[in-house]
Amino acid sequence: MNAALAGICGYLGLGVLGLVLGQGKILALLALIGGVTSLALWAPGFPEGLVGGLPFGIAVAGDLWALGIWGLALPLHLAVIVQGWRKDGLYHSLITVLIGTCLAGGISRDLFNLYVVLELSSLLSVILVAKEGRSAALWAALRYLLLAGVGMTLYLFGLGLVYGRTGSLAITVLSQMDFPHPSLRIGVGFLLAGTAVKAGVFLLGLWLPPAHGQAPTEISALLSGAVVKLGIVTLARIAEAFPVEPVLIFLGIVTGFGGIVYAIFERDLKIFLGHSTVSQLGYMLIGLGLGSWKAALFYTVAHGIFKGLLFLSAGMAVEAKGKRDIPDLKGGLPWPVVLGLALGTWAIVGLPPLAGFAGKQALSFQSPSWAKAAVIGLSLGTAVSFAKLLLLLKPKKGGTLGGFPFLAGGVVALGMWGFFLFPELLQLNPWLEAFSVVLFGYAVYRFALTKPVTIPRLKTDWAIFSILACTFILSLAVLFI
Amino acid sequence: MESLSGMALAVALATLGLWTMVARRNVLWKLLGLNVASGGSILFLVALSHRSGARPAIVGLGPGPAVDPLPQALVLTAIVIHFATLALALALLIVLTERRHTQDVKKLEEEG
Repeated sequence: MNAALAGICGYLGLGVLGLVLGQGKILALLALIGGVTSLALWAPGFPEGLVGGLPFGIAVAGDLWALGIWGLALPLHLAVIVQGWRKDGLYHSLITVLIGTCLAGGISRDLFNLYVVLELSSLLSVILVAKEGRSAALWAALRYLLLAGVGMTLYLFGLGLVYGRTGSLAITVLSQMDFPHPSLRIGVGFLLAGTAVKAGVFLLGLWLPPAHGQAPTEISALLSGAVVKLGIVTLARIAEAFPVEPVLIFLGIVTGFGGIVYAIFERDLKIFLGHSTVSQLGYMLIGLGLGSWKAALFYTVAHGIFKGLLFLSAGMAVEAKGKRDIPDLKGGLPWPVVLGLALGTWAIVGLPPLAGFAGKQALSFQSPSWAKAAVIGLSLGTAVSFAKLLLLLKPKKGGTLGGFPFLAGGVVALGMWGFFLFPELLQLNPWLEAFSVVLFGYAVYRFALTKPVTIPRLKTDWAIFSILACTFILSLAVLFI
Repeated sequence: MESLSGMALAVALATLGLWTMVARRNVLWKLLGLNVASGGSILFLVALSHRSGARPAIVGLGPGPAVDPLPQALVLTAIVIHFATLALALALLIVLTERRHTQDVKKLEEEG
């Protein structure tokens, strides 16, 4: 426990020091080295302990989720440092603090501590999105702040209701309690809704793809790779404390298919990737709801790595050409960008042997047939939506590598490791299924989707209204399960 | 009884704030709405810790029951966070107003 806390303190301390002193780049590297050392020291995990001791200490534990988040955040940080090597120290320091926040969220097992971590990550993300100062990015950042603020206010009310009824905020204590009282159930509904806003769940988090799309290259990779996962971890903790599995499955299916509809028809490359993040959250939520933690966690980490890779490549493509729409970017992209997009697409549509294959197939191993059908439907939709990136895969010579090798290596390594974790993958059926789904998806894209369709964006007022309406529905759902 | 009326006031504040956020088109009003709503959430937590006839949770104030100190400690953190959020949002809004010469959500969203 002390090693993990030292790593987090190192991250936050060196980040803040960098803000004060300058020299952010060197301090960021130092923090990264400290973080990796700390992970190596506590690596297999540590039992739950209270930071600050009894009676009001904060519960932390080094469980599987902590391991996953650390294993995701540290490689992403390395890739982002290398990618943004030319940027100033302020930028590196802010990213260091943001990564430290993610690490803290990974080990935290206390509802209020998770609230602080979520809020801190929104504040830092907003600064990083707005930092370059384009008007579109400023507006996306302000919207992010407003809507995340609504979500977090709801979360605080939920937290109050839970604390008032149970007298505790620690996940482990809450998981041992009964779940009968209506006010407790409504509180849990509020907690779920508030977290869902941060995690980007469909209709609560539809504002999130524009924010991810408007951010600078490295920041989009971090937002989609690590910050959204913080929301997923919080949802996982809530699911651990209270029996809300049916609600999570419902949210997962709605999020997956809703995100895919937007992803299929979106033309702006980076916003398209943001919508695809929303759709991929569906897998993680379904996994959480079905109780297959290992598969959900594996897909969370895998998605963080390959979506980071996709966003880095897409950002470099947009910077190289100065245009954002996918048809305008056709042809003549530098080869690292093309290779990154190709690897990322290969992984996200779930083709073997990369990371997406293990994650998607593992979700459907022990699940009932309707869940398997939902997962296959989502995979089909992913394949349809990513088919349009095939246009871009014509390389030319030249171009810089940036953070590409680390994330590409991560995608391949994680895919291989998946075969050890889930030995069932070595049979013929999953391979046949993956290839036929992707081929069918490509056929649908080629022959059925010939006309461009514009789907209306959700305006800010409606976004706030939909958050409130969804909170109401979620609370009712938790009340009656 | 005081605790209940505190909670009712908190819920009323939050409803008012959130309603302002939905109904007003000006971003500054939306920010104020958010601030009122988060003030409601803070009041809610403080009202939770209340027990009738209890003393403030300060060591050395004498015998008798004290209020639950934990929500009050949480509230301190939440107040700091809300302050930071409001300050950051206002800073962004100032820059945005200088650039676009409007605070109307509809106009800000065109050509976003």
